[in-house]
Amino acid sequence: MEIEFHSYDVLIVGAGGAGMRAALESSSRARTAVLTKLYPTRSHTGAAQGGMCAALANVEDDNWEWHTFDTVKGGDYLVDQDAAEVMCKEAIDAVLDLEKMGLPFNRTPEGRIDQRRFGGHTRQHGEAPVRRSCFAADRTGHMILQTLYQQCVKQNVDFFNEFYVLDLLITAGRASGVVAYELATGRIHVFAGKAVVLATGGFGKVFRTTSNAHTLTGDGMGIVWRKGLPLEDMEFFQFHPTGLAGLGVLLSEAARGEGGILRNKDGERFMERYAPTIKDLAPRDMVARAMANEVREGRGCGPESAYVMLDLTHLPREQIDAKLPDITEFARTYLGVEPYDEPIPVFPTAHYAMGGVPTNIAGEALFNNQDVVPGLYAAGEVACVSVHGANRLGTNSLLDINVFGRRAGFNAAVYAQSAPKLDLPDDPAAFVIHLIESMRDGAGTERVAAIRGELQATMDLNAQVYRTEGSLKQALSDIDGLKTRYANVSVQDKGKRFNTDLLEAIELGFLIELAEVLVVSALARNESRGGHFREDYATRDDVNFMRHTMAYRQLADDGSVTIRLDYKPVVQTRYRPMERKY
Amino acid sequence: MDVTLKLRRYNPEVSDEVSWETFSVVQQPTDRVLDALHTIKWDQDGTLTFRRSCAHGVCGSDAMRINGRNRLACKTLLKDVNPGKPITVEPIQGLPVLKDLVVDMEPFFAAYKSVMPFLITDGNEPTRERVQSQKDRDRFDDTTKCILCAACTTSCPVYWADGQYFGPQAIVGAHRFIFDSRDEGTAQRLEILNDNEGVWRCRTTFNCTEACPRGIEVTKAIQEVKRALIFRR
Amino acid sequence: MATSTPVIQAPRNLASKSNFELYSWLFMRLSGVLLVFLVLAHLFVNLMLGDGIDGVDFAFVAGKWSSPFWQTWDLLMLWLAQLHGTNGLRTIINDYAERDGTRFWLKSLLYLASIVVIVLGTLVIFTFDPCIDPDSTLSVCQ
Repeated sequence: MEIEFHSYDVLIVGAGGAGMRAALESSSRARTAVLTKLYPTRSHTGAAQGGMCAALANVEDDNWEWHTFDTVKGGDYLVDQDAAEVMCKEAIDAVLDLEKMGLPFNRTPEGRIDQRRFGGHTRQHGEAPVRRSCFAADRTGHMILQTLYQQCVKQNVDFFNEFYVLDLLITAGRASGVVAYELATGRIHVFAGKAVVLATGGFGKVFRTTSNAHTLTGDGMGIVWRKGLPLEDMEFFQFHPTGLAGLGVLLSEAARGEGGILRNKDGERFMERYAPTIKDLAPRDMVARAMANEVREGRGCGPESAYVMLDLTHLPREQIDAKLPDITEFARTYLGVEPYDEPIPVFPTAHYAMGGVPTNIAGEALFNNQDVVPGLYAAGEVACVSVHGANRLGTNSLLDINVFGRRAGFNAAVYAQSAPKLDLPDDPAAFVIHLIESMRDGAGTERVAAIRGELQATMDLNAQVYRTEGSLKQALSDIDGLKTRYANVSVQDKGKRFNTDLLEAIELGFLIELAEVLVVSALARNESRGGHFREDYATRDDVNFMRHTMAYRQLADDGSVTIRLDYKPVVQTRYRPMERKY
Repeated sequence: MDVTLKLRRYNPEVSDEVSWETFSVVQQPTDRVLDALHTIKWDQDGTLTFRRSCAHGVCGSDAMRINGRNRLACKTLLKDVNPGKPITVEPIQGLPVLKDLVVDMEPFFAAYKSVMPFLITDGNEPTRERVQSQKDRDRFDDTTKCILCAACTTSCPVYWADGQYFGPQAIVGAHRFIFDSRDEGTAQRLEILNDNEGVWRCRTTFNCTEACPRGIEVTKAIQEVKRALIFRR
Repeated sequence: MATSTPVIQAPRNLASKSNFELYSWLFMRLSGVLLVFLVLAHLFVNLMLGDGIDGVDFAFVAGKWSSPFWQTWDLLMLWLAQLHGTNGLRTIINDYAERDGTRFWLKSLLYLASIVVIVLGTLVIFTFDPCIDPDSTLSVCQ
């Protein structure tokens, strides 16, 4: 198989918000290549809608300390508080930087950046909702992605588009490069680099009902996992309350920020019962559970009582048109519902992985509870800093990618300037070549789509908003069976050029492994916290579980793989855990 | 509901010939064309190749020509494209086809990059944000919606005949900054679009406006750039 | 982000730095508007006034072209219509002829034809002799 070699200082894997933000910092300081499975502007950052919070105090009194508190409380106290402080403090500059790059924020009458309310964001430590989210209609993510790409064009960043990174190279404990598969030609490329920044996003495709793109298959986490490096807090997966029923297409929390109301089949504003103070603007995990509970208790809407309603009909049409144009169009296009006049059917949809590759606040990836892998960085959804703890607050992901994308890119470049150039391991592409050839040329009989479908079905059924030991064990045994079947997977397309059949088969491998990590981590967490809700352990247990899960892939001598769980303490600075009430 | 799709197939690894292949699938009327393509790929023919990602019309991966019109496969419901008859799906036109529905996007992105699609400012930066009234912000709102899917550019007959033409998307990309009150690179951008292959090649056929899945009034944007060239330089 | 001078990518074949296309685009619109007026008035005078179509003969033309006003009018109509049409055809050739060679030859032919018509037409308007017939009974020839 043909192999091409490239050499750079910094290699960035992934070109969403975090990857491109990192590239902007890094490419002006060190020779930087960005490798991306998709064209940069296809990344799922573009699907984010509601906004990016920062305590600018442009419209209301606010400060970053309140933002930090909300982030910590929203994350059910599993947040590393030093990281949250960094994020909320740097949020202000992150927003201003984006504005200076040209991002077209909505404006106040004075011409400043406008701000609106968002779930879980409050003033005075929970007193009342605060207007903190900076936004551009309901396409803030789109604007961030486009603006960052525009800046990359301006800086002449080197992109390798449709290069699928499949392996991380490590020399003497340090990151030394990556191996990529070029989709267009089927060629293998070995990239030597002094620093590697992973920014590959999440793995929402382990679930069937998800707001995630087809391409969000946890590639970066999977690569790290296969290297024996840990994954942190994988049991915490966020379910966004308002996905279009049946489809999972995201309807921003901004709909509720602008005044939208959730109602059950009796027309009752049921969130008043679950979160009396901030009602529909409670954090996502609480709203999602409340919705699932309404449906479970028979108060769902529709012929099968399978969803609840998001009601915007009382909002002025001008407000809907100006602030929520895209999501109302989704409702019209996909459900044929006119949001001016009718409520929109919604149900929770798998949305965001709080967990991922553990990093410190410099964006450096860890290989145990405190030591870093020199030269390896991660930022964005692939990483777990952990600023989101057990449940991410709305808008904090766009903040995360900007703050920690910038930090990772900057630190990677600085590291690369002084780091020695490492030799690549012997035969660096061997693993990837074997992976591809055995899969493409194998004589398997199992269909990728069938296995993936069953994986998603069992995850939706057993590891979603509500979990029990029984359901998780069921999921685990299903995954076990699917692993066996995956070993016999077939790829129909035997060609080299644009072999997306092969691509999907490889992606499925990552999905299965990550699903297993998720379930194993969830099984061991006998408590309910944030996005992880165990019906058999319905309360938070700070005595035993105020700690991060660290999962490791353990390769036995006989070649069998097991998952070993370890734990890492939570960093607490100012805030002591309290009961989480809204 | 039984649906028949007639797909344009091309795989130079197998044959230099283009062929048309027909598939039958069972779908809901409210399913997207993308769902039907997935059913084919996942259940019938794994070699069928197309790009897709977000599946709800914001990433711009899956622009294709469906029943002769450029659309996003994920934003087009089967019930809206006359599913009683075979639905034809082919790659967008004017860019080299690489395999099945996948085209080479490089010429398209090259055109985009050549109009300097980024904010240009000079002088010292303010410490806080630049001030811009909501009215000034709204002036260029329409063209900020662009997702670079290439549906407009590849629906343009001038672009089909002459790939040197910048194409509607590049002009949209320039428009977004030309009409941004914060930008100071207007003169340079207008100079670029004043080229032989610039805005003057637009014949106002409105194909681009009709093709845009984001509802951008592309032709209007092009006309506004022409007007700016005449009156603003 | 620090303010910096942007790296300007060499735009695609920036062959001309002229405003030719801009002026030609403007010319099409302006000449079009003028032509509507010129042609309609021309038709009105020729076909509706007086005896209408029945009155149009050699004498009628001779009468008109003896006036500098109508000479200028028709000259303007000739030049504008010819340039407007030529430019229109030029863009059509640019749009539809895909090979450079085809474009070159079609446009050469077009420009040649256009020049011939303009020169010939101009010549006729200025050298028109109403008394070319020695037996003419027209008043100007008396």
